[in-house]
Order: sequence, then structure tokens, then C-alpha cells
Amino acid sequence: MINLIHIKNDLKQVFRDPVMSILMLAPLLIVVVFKLLIFFLFPFIATKFNFEFSLYYQYLMAGILILISGMLGIVIGFMMLDDKDGNIAELMAVTPLGRSGYLVNRLSFSSILCFIYSIIAIYVLNVIDVPFYTILLLSLLSAIYSIIIGLLIFSGADDKVKGLTFAKGLNMLGIFAFSDLFALNWFSILSLIFPTYWITRIIESPHSVSAFLIGTSIHIIWLSYLIYRYLSKK
Amino acid sequence: MRLINAIWSDIKFQIKQGFYLVYLIITIMYLIILSMLPENVLTIALPLVVFSDPSVLGLFFIGGIILLEKSQGVLMVMVVSPLRTQEYILAKAISLALVSAIAAIAITALSPINNVNWFLLILSTILTAGLFTLSGIMINAGCNNVNQYMVKTIPYMLLFVLPSFSLLGFEYSYLFTVVPSVAALRLLLGAYHGIIWYEALGLTLYLLLMNYIFFRYSVKIFENKIVYQD
Repeated sequence: MINLIHIKNDLKQVFRDPVMSILMLAPLLIVVVFKLLIFFLFPFIATKFNFEFSLYYQYLMAGILILISGMLGIVIGFMMLDDKDGNIAELMAVTPLGRSGYLVNRLSFSSILCFIYSIIAIYVLNVIDVPFYTILLLSLLSAIYSIIIGLLIFSGADDKVKGLTFAKGLNMLGIFAFSDLFALNWFSILSLIFPTYWITRIIESPHSVSAFLIGTSIHIIWLSYLIYRYLSKK
Repeated sequence: MRLINAIWSDIKFQIKQGFYLVYLIITIMYLIILSMLPENVLTIALPLVVFSDPSVLGLFFIGGIILLEKSQGVLMVMVVSPLRTQEYILAKAISLALVSAIAAIAITALSPINNVNWFLLILSTILTAGLFTLSGIMINAGCNNVNQYMVKTIPYMLLFVLPSFSLLGFEYSYLFTVVPSVAALRLLLGAYHGIIWYEALGLTLYLLLMNYIFFRYSVKIFENKIVYQD
């Protein structure tokens, strides 16, 4: 019940503040922009420069999913940093909600949105041919990735500036989704430990059980470590 | 002397906050990406990378820096200290431009590209960084948190970025050079592709003037809207 009230309050906080509303709805705008690019710009580039974008659609889809989850993760990370600055996080820790309850509420909010937006993005862009269960898994992994980003910012940064530095650096994690394009052996091997790589891998092999299992495990390992780090921090 | 001390303390703050470390990582990532590009694409991609990331980093970071210093009470202390607002803002712009210039030099020097005009590269990066950092200070007025700041930067970024497409070239497209970001990008491209000396001089003088105007305006906004919050 407390959780529900808190989530309701979060929703109110977000939609009363026009800035937060914009940030939360921004991923949908990204989807629309990319749909327009696919319709108008890509055919133009294909005819003008003889470059076929459709060969790289799996990377495009992975990039968009990572962009959406990264964006929501950063927004929620900064929301939590603001809570930290305003001592709201400490205040929540002494309520029946507790430290973990506060974390669950804040992060579930962005991850649920991310899950929904990912499904919308895959269906609206319609550039990859994957079964429904793969769409669900990709959306779930994107949701977990948004939590990972939010937690990395919140637990790694002491203040807003460090948060921005983290956000800047974390954007670079997206590059691992494209590691196969670089044909660098060491870089491809390094990519295996990063969640973003597995988003592309699952899109490329939508029926591969091993890709599903390893990809999900990598996401869960990152998530578990970050939650453990947060809860064990005094 | 006060200005030098302020710049030095800003640089130390930026090192402590990990700016240099994060840009080292970003530089490595860009080098990996750029190394995969054929030479004819690289000559276009490299200036765009330098323009779109290192040169505009000030806009990204200045919002957080001012919000943090506001919440820590640094701005209140500054009011009663001998440090003038002009010096405070100049120190921020110079120290962030230094990170921009170092990142731009590193990315360019380690990329397989020849015939770079290093003087123009450094000059254009510093002038662009100045413009974006000073814009960030103006945008910051009225913001209470980083999320608000990020949203407020979007229209300004569009205003700076969209006219840059005029460099693709069409009738009267040179008129868009009046937009400071377009002038900055032209000068930066000149550092890589060559530019007639009088065009480079004209663009430099124009960017210096724009930096001065942005500086005066950001000092005014900073004092009225951020420090005293009228």
C-alpha cells in the first residue's frame, strides 16, 4: 500500500512538473524522429551515396533501445541525486518504506516506462523481424539497463557535477552494442561483459537460447552488484 | 592574479570531478570509431566529432557546476569575496575551454589525418567552447535542478545545431554564418580542410565579438538571476 502511494506521488511529481513530463515523454519523440528518418532520410542516403542502411537495422534498433533506456536511467538518476541533496533519500530511509523501498519505487518507475517504450519502439519502427517473446525479453533487458544506469549515477556520484560526468561516460557504454562492426578482436571480447552488447546479439540471434541466457545473466550480475553496493553503503 | 587562482581552482575541481578521466575514455572511444572510417569520410567526420563533443562540453557541464556551487553556498561566498563576477565566469569559461582544447588536440593528433592547421584548430575549439559555456550560464538562470537545465538546453541546441546544416551548401547558405555556431563550425572545418586567410580572420573576429557579447550578457544574467535572483 505504501509502495502504491509512493508511486502515485512519483507520478504526480513527474506530471505536475512540465520539465519532468517532457523528459519522460522524450523517448517517444525519439521513436517518431527515427521513424521519419527511416522514411525520408535513409532512402535519400541510399540513392545519393549508395549506402544501404537496411543492412544495419539490427544495430539501429539496439542503439535506439539503449538510447531510450539510457535516457530514462539518467533522468531517474538525477532525480535521485536531487533527493540526496534535499536529504529526501535519508528521510525515506526512516519511514516504513525504508532504503530498499525507496530504491524500488524510484527505479521501478523508470523501468516500467522503459519496458513500455521499448515495446512501442520495436513495433513502431518495425525494422527487425523477431518473435514476440524476444520483444518482451529485449524490453525487459532495456528496463534493467535503465535501472543499471540510474543506479550507476546515483551510487557513483556524490553530487550533480559528478553525476553529469558519469552520465557523459555512461553514454559511451552504448558503443559496445556496435563492437562487431569494428572488427577488433580485443574489443569484441571486452564487449561481452557489457549489457549493451547483448541487446544487439539477441536482435541478431532472436532464437538463440544461449544469447538469451548469457545476455540476461550479464544484466542481472550488473544489477545485483549495484543493488548490493547501494544497500551495503552506509 | 585572482583570475589565475580562480582558473587553477576550477581546473583542480574538474580533475577531482573526473572531467579529464571521462574525456580520456571518450577520446579512446572516438579513436576506435574513427579508425574504422575510410579517409574520405574521416575528413568530414573528425571535425564534426570535435565540434559536437569536446567543443560543446561546456554547455553540458556548466549547468551542473553552477547548480552545485549554488547549493553549496559558493555563490554567496563569492559575493562577499574580492573575486568579481567577471573573473568567476571567465575562469569557468577558460578552464572548460582547456578541457575542450586538450580533447580536440588528442582526438585529432591520434587520428590518421594530415595537414591540420593546429593554430586554427585550437583557436576555433576555444572560441566555440567559450560560446557554449557562456550560453550555458545564461540558460542556467531559473533552473533548480539538472533535469530542468537539460530540458532548457534543447531549444538552444536546436538553435545552434540546425543552422549548421547550411554548410551542406545551397543558395544564400553563407548567410547562416551569422549564427555563431555556424561561424565556429566553418572555422573548425577550415582547420582541417584549409581556409582563405581573410575568411579565417573574419570568422575569428566575429567569434571574438560574439564571445564578448555572450560574456557581457551572461555576467548580467548571472548577477541578476542566479546570484541575487531578482
